[in-house]
Amino acid sequence: MANAITAFLLAIVSSMLIDNVVLNRFYGICAFVGVSNKVKSAFSMGVAVVFVIVFASLICWPIYTFVLTPLNIPFMDTLTYILVIASLVQVVGLFIKKYSPALYKSFGIYLPLITTNCAVLGVVQNNTDTGLNFALSMANAIGTGVGFLVIICVFSFIRMRLEESNVPKAFRGVSIALLTAALMAIAFMGFSGIIS
Amino acid sequence: MSPVVNWIVAILVILFFLIVFIVSFILYKKTPPPKGCEGMEPSDEKCHGCEQEGCHFNLYYNKTSMKCTEKKNSDKTEENEKENK
Repeated sequence: MANAITAFLLAIVSSMLIDNVVLNRFYGICAFVGVSNKVKSAFSMGVAVVFVIVFASLICWPIYTFVLTPLNIPFMDTLTYILVIASLVQVVGLFIKKYSPALYKSFGIYLPLITTNCAVLGVVQNNTDTGLNFALSMANAIGTGVGFLVIICVFSFIRMRLEESNVPKAFRGVSIALLTAALMAIAFMGFSGIIS
Repeated sequence: MSPVVNWIVAILVILFFLIVFIVSFILYKKTPPPKGCEGMEPSDEKCHGCEQEGCHFNLYYNKTSMKCTEKKNSDKTEENEKENK
């Protein structure tokens, strides 16, 4: 039991810091650069991504294991995941729209945008491709989501500082943002090897 | 299971998920937004001249890292210069 809990926690830390979805696997770059202008919008996007990644993994793993594999059609996984994620985002958005106006206001446009975030599809696909069990799949999903949230918030803090600084004209905007992301990726390489 | 049956099952599964998506999409579109959240989509008419610098849809804000007020001021000076000429 203790081993299982340790493995669960290590999987979360590993997917959050060492194998970060943005800086190591380069998923979700569009949302990472596009929605990190302000801390508030970055945080909203990050929370929404955590929400959807966890729910998508919760649904897609059983579908792959108990529906696609027994029916001998595991090759349909990507198409199925795309439809499941798109439907899930609509359903979650519907419930938030109906029952939680405050959450709807804070998520705003970011919830529908997640449908096009490849990080969600990447995590779900990775869970089944690597043959993880349900618990480790969930740990991977939680770690990846929280990793995305942490990175996008840190990145938005840095971008806010950059706005106040005197950046050369040629580097203003996305150019300096991408350079910053590259430096962050190098910094996060320092985490590699902490879990053997 | 023969390959033909496999493909039929695959198509049925995809059709099922497609129907689920279409139903959820229609339901989402039919659900009215809460009060105060109407018209949150960007449009040229609403966003033109917007003073909110933090808004993600602010056209000036997205194009450069300059604050939109600065950009507007520079636009105004350019317009004034043209008028003077």
